[in-house]
Amino acid sequence: MTKITFTFQGHAITAKTGQSLAAALTKAGHRNFRETAKSAERGMFCGMGVCQDCLVTVDGKPNVRACMSPAKDGMTVTRQVPFPAFTGSAPPPSDPLHLTPDVLVIGGGAGGLSAAIAAAKAGARVVILDERKVAGGQYYKQSADGSVLDAQQGDGADLVAAAVASGAEILSGVEIWGAFDPLLFLAQQGETPIIARPNMAIVATGAYERPVMVPGWTLPGVMTTGAAQTLWRSYGTLPGQRVAICGSGPLNLQVALELTRGGAEIVRLADRASHPATRPLAALAMAVSGPMLTLKGLKMELALRRMGVAVRSACDLTGVAKQDGALAATFQGAGGDEETVTVDALCMNAGFEPQNEILRLLGAKMHYDTKMGHLRCQTDPTMQTSVSGLYAVGDCKGLGGAPAARVEGTIAGAHAAAASGFGDAYDLHGAQRALTRHRRFQSRLWRLYDIAPRGVAALSGDTPICRCEELTLDDIQVGLDDRPGHAGTLKRATRVGMGRCQGRYCGPVVARMVAETTGKPIEDLSFFAPRVPIKPVAISAILAAQEALDGEA
Amino acid sequence: MAKPDILVIGGGVTGTITAITLAEAGAKVTLVDAGVNAGSDANAGSLHVQMQSRFMRLYPDQVPNVEAALPFYRAAAEEWVKLDAALGGVELVRKGGLMLAETADQLAFLEKKAAREAAKGLSVELLDRVSLDRIAPWLGPQIVGAELCRDEGKLNPLLANRLLKRRAEAAGVTRLTDRVTQLRMTSHDVEIDTPDATLHADQVVIAAAWGSGDLVNAFSVTLPTRAEPLHMNITEPGAPVINHLVQHAERSITLKQFSSGQIVIGGGWPATSQGSHAPPTVRHDSMLQNVALAARLAPAISSLKVIRTWAGMNTTIDGASVIGPLPYTKRIIMAIPGDAGYTLGPLVGRMAAQIAMDAPTDFDAGPFSPARFAN
Ligand SMILES: Cc1cc2nc3c(=O)[nH]c(=O)nc-3n(C[C@H](O)[C@H](O)[C@H](O)COP(=O)(O)OP(=O)(O)OC[C@H]3O[C@@H](n4cnc5c(N)ncnc54)[C@H](O)[C@@H]3O)c2cc1C
Ligand SMILES: Cc1cc2nc3c(=O)[nH]c(=O)nc-3n(C[C@H](O)[C@H](O)[C@H](O)COP(=O)(O)OP(=O)(O)OC[C@H]3O[C@@H](n4cnc5c(N)ncnc54)[C@H](O)[C@@H]3O)c2cc1C
Ligand code: FES
Repeated sequence: MTKITFTFQGHAITAKTGQSLAAALTKAGHRNFRETAKSAERGMFCGMGVCQDCLVTVDGKPNVRACMSPAKDGMTVTRQVPFPAFTGSAPPPSDPLHLTPDVLVIGGGAGGLSAAIAAAKAGARVVILDERKVAGGQYYKQSADGSVLDAQQGDGADLVAAAVASGAEILSGVEIWGAFDPLLFLAQQGETPIIARPNMAIVATGAYERPVMVPGWTLPGVMTTGAAQTLWRSYGTLPGQRVAICGSGPLNLQVALELTRGGAEIVRLADRASHPATRPLAALAMAVSGPMLTLKGLKMELALRRMGVAVRSACDLTGVAKQDGALAATFQGAGGDEETVTVDALCMNAGFEPQNEILRLLGAKMHYDTKMGHLRCQTDPTMQTSVSGLYAVGDCKGLGGAPAARVEGTIAGAHAAAASGFGDAYDLHGAQRALTRHRRFQSRLWRLYDIAPRGVAALSGDTPICRCEELTLDDIQVGLDDRPGHAGTLKRATRVGMGRCQGRYCGPVVARMVAETTGKPIEDLSFFAPRVPIKPVAISAILAAQEALDGEA
Repeated sequence: MAKPDILVIGGGVTGTITAITLAEAGAKVTLVDAGVNAGSDANAGSLHVQMQSRFMRLYPDQVPNVEAALPFYRAAAEEWVKLDAALGGVELVRKGGLMLAETADQLAFLEKKAAREAAKGLSVELLDRVSLDRIAPWLGPQIVGAELCRDEGKLNPLLANRLLKRRAEAAGVTRLTDRVTQLRMTSHDVEIDTPDATLHADQVVIAAAWGSGDLVNAFSVTLPTRAEPLHMNITEPGAPVINHLVQHAERSITLKQFSSGQIVIGGGWPATSQGSHAPPTVRHDSMLQNVALAARLAPAISSLKVIRTWAGMNTTIDGASVIGPLPYTKRIIMAIPGDAGYTLGPLVGRMAAQIAMDAPTDFDAGPFSPARFAN
């Protein structure tokens, strides 16, 4: 593999081709990427382009996401300042890409790839748009250099290959920022504007991770478990040597194992839930509905134990602080005992939030899942949403796991193709039965973990809630005194949710806070109103899209 | 609830100021607000004084009204300066507004406009490119000149709304979230229906913007209040370099930089109405064309990212405010700013309160009387 070099704050950094800037910087021990308006330090958090906290300046271009940008030879990278000078340099306009496929698939993970394969096999013209440089999604997370780490990555590579073989066109590194009625999508691939007007659209945008909000969770070095997994699986970089993991759920366990095998020391693996052994009936129910996956879970735990890593059950993170270039993470056990460990990186995952922005923007009906604490998109048995021609599969419609996403994708792909006049979507009974099985397993699996949405009662007032606007619980609570009738009112009163990530992390918390004060049940309308752009989009890109649309006429 | 002396309908900037003025003068005030689609919650905080070319183009028949009211706009901007001090700071900056010209024709149009405005007492000046470069070096090369109106400025409406709400609370104003469905005169007061209750008050001030027309139909007044859904865009923060409120001689745009460093782009691009019970939704063509226009006028901003768009409900009437008692029903007093309503709101709201108290008004209310809409 070829090596490249670039500079960060004047230091020479060596990286592998294809490595993200965030990975290359982490490997070199740089975690502090930017300074906020209130002079706080920030670094990579979500690792997947959602939190907008990993911003750096690249060759004079401000606010570039380090997690989504490959390191290139000769780059000059500097820490992002909060108020950069306008550079104004609009890149030379590139020719727009006009897409009019029978079926457009948004998201190239387990659900999206399966949908594309089914639709393409039926004869439909299919295009997949994916945000990442390499398709595969979060579960099948592919390596940047094409190497294969294990069976899971191998399965993913097979799925991507099958999608390519099916004739579906995969466009990677595409940021979709606009979704409009009737099925008009605006996106950007590098400097190229994309205008997509498909016949049918299948949304398969997956989920992002729910954090553990404690004082200090915004510090550089604190990241989601998925971000650490991407560092390792995609870029062969450990998040740090000494690592702690907290939250709840099987991903934490899996990443602990992967990082340990990679050479990291897991100094603490904490789960909020009490151990499954203390709830044998629930554990048994899960085992019955998914023996293979249950076995996989048991094997992981055993393997970890053999390497000296034991899960601390009923143990939760209570705070993080900077300490001599490292992080001091404090945990509290079931008995109330507190213990502080010193780590290079702290990983957190306390469940998932669906990436349902496109679905909500287009008006697809949702309902609130009280157990999971997030919205679920309503679909009919063909996976079509309440919006005609708009399908949804996988975690973006509510958490369901990769196996369910694959089956849902197959069903949606076949039906979307049939609705476009390709094939008849016949004989999907087997798939429907498999889906029922996967869903049953999922619901039983999650009963063993503790990902219930949390109120703010247990949080201290200085806990940051809105990362972007740097607001603590106390700051937001001031706005509650006016008894806001809606999250939008609280937003205007306090600025909560007004930043670059558009309320991805604070939004669910705020929706619950407002619901609590008003006594109204949580529903779709309780959340911040969905608005374009779905992700921040450069004015130059909007200009390019406008010129492309003008050219259409 | 004890019967208030005065009930104010509408809790935007206008109604809130009315309520504060009355309560601070000792009246018992209740404010009822439907809690949806307030222009005050969506507006961009531009202090407009010079005639807006967008308005002149869209509603040419209303231009005489606007022109006659120019001193009123200036007084309204002064009222904001006082409010800024009284409320403890709403990030008001009054460095003036630039109206850009890209052609000699546009510059000639601005020159005539400026002369008319100067005659009405506005502080205006025509700038050529060289002088423009000194105060706005970030403009595109095609800009040939601009009109500068020194009376104009900008403020942070989110902050202002918050402080106003607190001030009203401190003054003892009772605030209800409800929608008034009907008003009736009794022999001795006004009866007010909401879906939840029937209220009574000695006097009623209607500051309900787009909702006002429906409330006065019963009183032989046809008030053509029109709800106009409008689009806005906002960027991530950048270094503070844009001091002025920026507009164009021919095209719909307002552009300015908040003290947060964010750039707000709007200027009257349409959104899609979802009725009076939900906010409007955003149109892709408005977003694209509005932002593209901004990028052409100020190419320097094109590296910044737009992080959010939204849509809100503006209210237009006939180009002039409506202030004063209904012709046949003195107990009901109107307070509707019409265009540039956030600029005019405080002055309009104060004058309505003064009329309710039978006190002299800060500005001659005669030209704004609702009598012009009597059937
Ligand atoms: C001066 C100013 C500066 C601003 N700066 C920023 C900024 O920096 N960043 C930023 O993000 N915003 C900013 N805003 C915009 C702000 O987000 C909006 O003005 C405000 O929140 C109103 O938002 P909204 O119209 O999008 O919806 P809201 O006022 O939040 O109203 C939402 C309404 O939509 C309904 N709703 C919720 N979900 C759905 C759904 N799925 N489908 C249909 N309806 C739904 C709700 O019930 C509610 O009635 C600014 C606004 C102003 C006035
Ligand atoms: C996107 C946008 C940008 C703007 N930018 C600017 C700007 O930069 N500068 C400027 O000067 N102006 C601007 N305006 C115009 C300005 O916002 C409004 O004209 C102004 O806020 C009106 O204030 P108001 O208090 O009169 O009415 P509103 O703020 O509209 O408040 C009226 C209130 O009355 C309530 N209501 C209506 N009917 C009833 C009823 N029957 N019962 C009870 N309550 C009722 C409504 O729910 C609402 O809360 C903008 C408008 C929009 C939409
Ligand atoms: S870490 Fe890059 S966007 Fe979150």
